[in-house]
Amino acid sequence: MPNLKDLKTRINSVKSTQKITSAMKMVAAAKLRRAQEAAESGRPYAARMSAVIASLATKTDRSSASPLLVGRADDKTHLLVIMSADKGLCGGFNGSIARTARKLIAEKQASGHKVLVYVVGRKAGVALGSEIADIVFSRIEGVQGSHMTFGNASEIGQKIIDGFEAETFDSVSLLYNRFVNAITQTVTHTSLIPAEVEATEETIADGLTASYEYEPDEAEILSALLPRNLATQIFSALLESSAAELAARMTAMDNATRNAGDMIDRLTLVYNRTRQANITNELIEIISGAEAL
Amino acid sequence: MAETTQLELVTPARVMLSKSVEMVVIPGSEGLFGVLAHHAPVLANLQRGVVEVHEGGKIIDRIMIDGGVADVTENGVTILAERAENLDTASSQEVRERALASTGADAEFLTIVAEAL
Repeated sequence: MPNLKDLKTRINSVKSTQKITSAMKMVAAAKLRRAQEAAESGRPYAARMSAVIASLATKTDRSSASPLLVGRADDKTHLLVIMSADKGLCGGFNGSIARTARKLIAEKQASGHKVLVYVVGRKAGVALGSEIADIVFSRIEGVQGSHMTFGNASEIGQKIIDGFEAETFDSVSLLYNRFVNAITQTVTHTSLIPAEVEATEETIADGLTASYEYEPDEAEILSALLPRNLATQIFSALLESSAAELAARMTAMDNATRNAGDMIDRLTLVYNRTRQANITNELIEIISGAEAL
Repeated sequence: MAETTQLELVTPARVMLSKSVEMVVIPGSEGLFGVLAHHAPVLANLQRGVVEVHEGGKIIDRIMIDGGVADVTENGVTILAERAENLDTASSQEVRERALASTGADAEFLTIVAEAL
């Protein structure tokens, strides 16, 4: 039979855990609103950028186009950019990124590619640990949350372009959590090099009809735009990932708070029963003592 | 009132400007050019400079951009710029402070903005 003092300590400890989780939930919810706004206000730029790239891409000759757009013919080494959170306690957020990354790396290696990884954010790197220790191209931390700027994204983008031009790798893709809504985040895998051009019917029709003039010319605009497009994609992935992280943390902490509540209820029940049992015991002792006289 | 064209100036963080304008002067990489309503479709690289919004013969908005691209279509003008600062609303003091707080290309651009103010 558990003793009362232990039970009381246990209940108090669960109560303080509950206070922490509910505070974390509130903090995440407050930050989420801002992150969500940031993610949404970042979308127009990304959308217009990809529209311009798409319309340019339909008009340039693919054989002479920049390898940033069409990729290298000889695709030997692949760089996987893994974007996760710097902090934990956000449910399956980092775990699902690590799991998908593991699967993608295995797939690429099975098809005869060499794989390098660029770890953005701390947690996925920790989760993958020694599995990726030999294939890390670079790591970066602390670029998410409130200190995130477009400058960070440009930096990451520049590093990728430098590596690509030095032929360290021949294609690049990005793995991150996309923010769908407060309850859902989806792990998304997109190609950065070659650039994923969404040739919607509208852009194709646009490309055929609009008699654009170019200043200076298509190729030069494209070569100025492609690095920017890379940075833009990384930036919007950072924004999405940050919002998704907060949403995941909010849900996880909400569950934790609820679980703690259930636990307190259960422990309180046991505590009360034990207390009652003790009282009954004492009464029996007194009565049987009195009877023995 | 003269015919207008829809101007949108978008940075990665937000849509900075979205309004109907009579004329906008854009710092293209090959030189300044003005866009009125019904301008022919142009896609232009931009250099660092000031986007000027004209109305009734006067300049009503001045926005410094750090390069970018302008997409002129029959529906309007879209300017995509990585960095942009409104020269009419920003104060030199505040921009200077932000320049000190940031690094790299951001700091360089903000310093130039602060000097232009």
